[in-house]
Amino acid sequence: MKTGLNYAPPAMSHTAGLLPAAAAPVPTDVAAARWLLVGAPNVGKSALFGRLTGAYTTVSNYPGTSVEVTVGVHDLGDETVDVVDTPGMYGFLAVSEEERVARRAILEGSGQTLIQVADASHLDRALPLTLQLLALGRPLVLACNLLDEARRRGVAPDLALLSERLGVPVVGTVATTGEGVAALAEAAHGAPVPVDGWALPQPFADVVALLSERQEGVRLLDAELALCGDPEMAPARSAASPRLWLAATSMRDARWGAADGFAVALATARRRMALALLDGVVPDAPPERRARRAALDRVLLSPWTGIPLVLAVLYLGFYRFVGHFGAGTLVDLIERVAFDRWLTPPVTAGVNALVPWAVLRDLLVGPYGLFTLGVRYAVAIVLPIVGTFFLVFALLEDCGYLPRLALLLDRGLKRLGLSGRAVIPLVLGFGCNTMATLVTRTLETRRERVIVTLLLALAIPCSAQLGVVLGILSVYPAAVAVWAGVLLAVFVVVGALAARLLPGDPPSFYLELPPLRVPLVRNVLLKTLTRVRWYFAEILPLFLLASVILWAGELTGALRAATHAIEPAVRLIGLPDAAAPAFLYGFFRRDFGAAGLYEMARSGVLGPAALTTAAVTITLFVPCVAQFLVMRRERGTALAVTVLVVATGVAFATGGLVGWLLRSVGGWA
Amino acid sequence: MKCTMCGTASGCDGCPIAGDFYLPATLASLAAGEKATVRRLAAAKGGDLRKLLALGLLPGVELEVERRWPAMVVRMGFATVALDAQLAEGVIVSRAA
Repeated sequence: MKTGLNYAPPAMSHTAGLLPAAAAPVPTDVAAARWLLVGAPNVGKSALFGRLTGAYTTVSNYPGTSVEVTVGVHDLGDETVDVVDTPGMYGFLAVSEEERVARRAILEGSGQTLIQVADASHLDRALPLTLQLLALGRPLVLACNLLDEARRRGVAPDLALLSERLGVPVVGTVATTGEGVAALAEAAHGAPVPVDGWALPQPFADVVALLSERQEGVRLLDAELALCGDPEMAPARSAASPRLWLAATSMRDARWGAADGFAVALATARRRMALALLDGVVPDAPPERRARRAALDRVLLSPWTGIPLVLAVLYLGFYRFVGHFGAGTLVDLIERVAFDRWLTPPVTAGVNALVPWAVLRDLLVGPYGLFTLGVRYAVAIVLPIVGTFFLVFALLEDCGYLPRLALLLDRGLKRLGLSGRAVIPLVLGFGCNTMATLVTRTLETRRERVIVTLLLALAIPCSAQLGVVLGILSVYPAAVAVWAGVLLAVFVVVGALAARLLPGDPPSFYLELPPLRVPLVRNVLLKTLTRVRWYFAEILPLFLLASVILWAGELTGALRAATHAIEPAVRLIGLPDAAAPAFLYGFFRRDFGAAGLYEMARSGVLGPAALTTAAVTITLFVPCVAQFLVMRRERGTALAVTVLVVATGVAFATGGLVGWLLRSVGGWA
Repeated sequence: MKCTMCGTASGCDGCPIAGDFYLPATLASLAAGEKATVRRLAAAKGGDLRKLLALGLLPGVELEVERRWPAMVVRMGFATVALDAQLAEGVIVSRAA
């Protein structure tokens, strides 16, 4: 078992792969891998992947969390096999960008063994995809995962019978405990190419064959998708002579009206085949509903009880745990005790003794030193806050709360041009905006992705920034309220404006609700760890880079010049010149800027009004370098720059307004 | 009883929409607790149709509406899905007797 290796985003190298995902070719390590895990969202693909490879992708009880294709290695003893985990897909007719990623990984590969992961309780929903995969003529194994849940419900399938009927190995697994994983690996290792005989039912076969059989290189599946009206299947269409295409579509339209009718009829026919295959495989258990879970769901989903519950979760989970415990207690402990008392003195003394050049000493332990600024900020201030945030997020994710939150907030988000699905990137943004910008891929239209990207860059503070800002403002509870109120107002106004101004149809909301599950400690911890590791690998280099740039700027005087340049803007919103450096730092990391303010608040340079103004401005202010780079890659340079300009304008305008209002109200100076 | 699709009060015999079943309704018009069978998908946009297919709302599927607000929650076997009223308008069902 070796560590997995993510390609492009989650590893998130900023230097490579700055192309939009849709245009990028399938990476060679994915194309060359031998096992490909595929299946619907939220059936445990990533958890099984983790069991097979020892690597852990972020697995969660939320449909659509593996946005990327992940590669890992399975150890067979005498040899190793590359394994690929793909995002969830309901079928080959893709709706979202992540489904397209999965589809391309399957269609553009050749010869890999496909391991379809299915929820053992809903085989009727999984088998239509199985039938399509069988048509590809590649080795296939069906993993009936979540078998423990199916057993509890009394619907555990007869695996041997199903295997006999399908002609491929069928293995029962429980990814959370590891049950059946060894058997799955063994089955995948020796999986044969399935025998033919899984042709489309008539009358579909004739129409599809017309496109596929008369020309080279067009598979049945390509032809089928083209006839279903899939715009990405243009190759199958253009490979056909105009006359052939006309003949096929005429046949289709005469019988089914149009592409949509054809798609529905075909899906219905496949479902019938699936049900016939399952006859006798799955016991007839009436799906009784557990009363307690149903009651809990009612409480979570009814706005009357659900909204207060959201507020309670926000308060306890984020304000108390992340804000107070993480940003307060833990930061104090690590910074004041670990760094100030134990680490910094010996490191400083050591550097002073060993390095004779003052300039180099400054680079290491000076005011902007690699150690004193870069490492200390990253480890002492940011790590505890981000770590506690991801812990809470993983907990909410694992128990299945997030999809319910999406449902609850759908109506409100519709007014901002978004659907309930946008909840995930938005909430994740409170952890790390960069990661959240990446996750906007799970949204369906470009319009939604643009709106969420803008809101993330502008009005959602990341956890590091949030922690530091709350830390600064906690002295003045009223200031926290003003700050939160202003951010919410900006969020709503900008969202509503974007919804009006951006062209496109309003989004529609659809989501599978996984059952509520008791979170597994192992899952939650591993998920937190994976995200923290990702985050840390991402920020430490940036912190170090920022240290070097600031150090060089100080050395050459460029820093002072740049600080002077933004002083007028800082003065404009009523802040002292001393606050200017904090804004400059904000370019490197959003929390870096806030951390600069933290120092000033401690030393008492800023009063409550100035502090609130500064906190509002710096929260709204430009995204950090990493977020900007991901924005550019995902949405294009023009949009990323536009967001940057808009964010700066809105930040200073709002900051100025808030500052002016606070100063005119008594008792705030 | 009046047809919810076309408004005719004369029943659905020979109706081209209804086919061989009675009283077609849209999923959006069902009340919480009602059971029905999906008969036809009539989404206006191709994109909406694919979402319905992804949710598994196919002709022949039996379902039960769990709640309508703030969005429709529909149970099919052991799977539960949520969709907004606009998408649910595109699912033609027949109520269980």
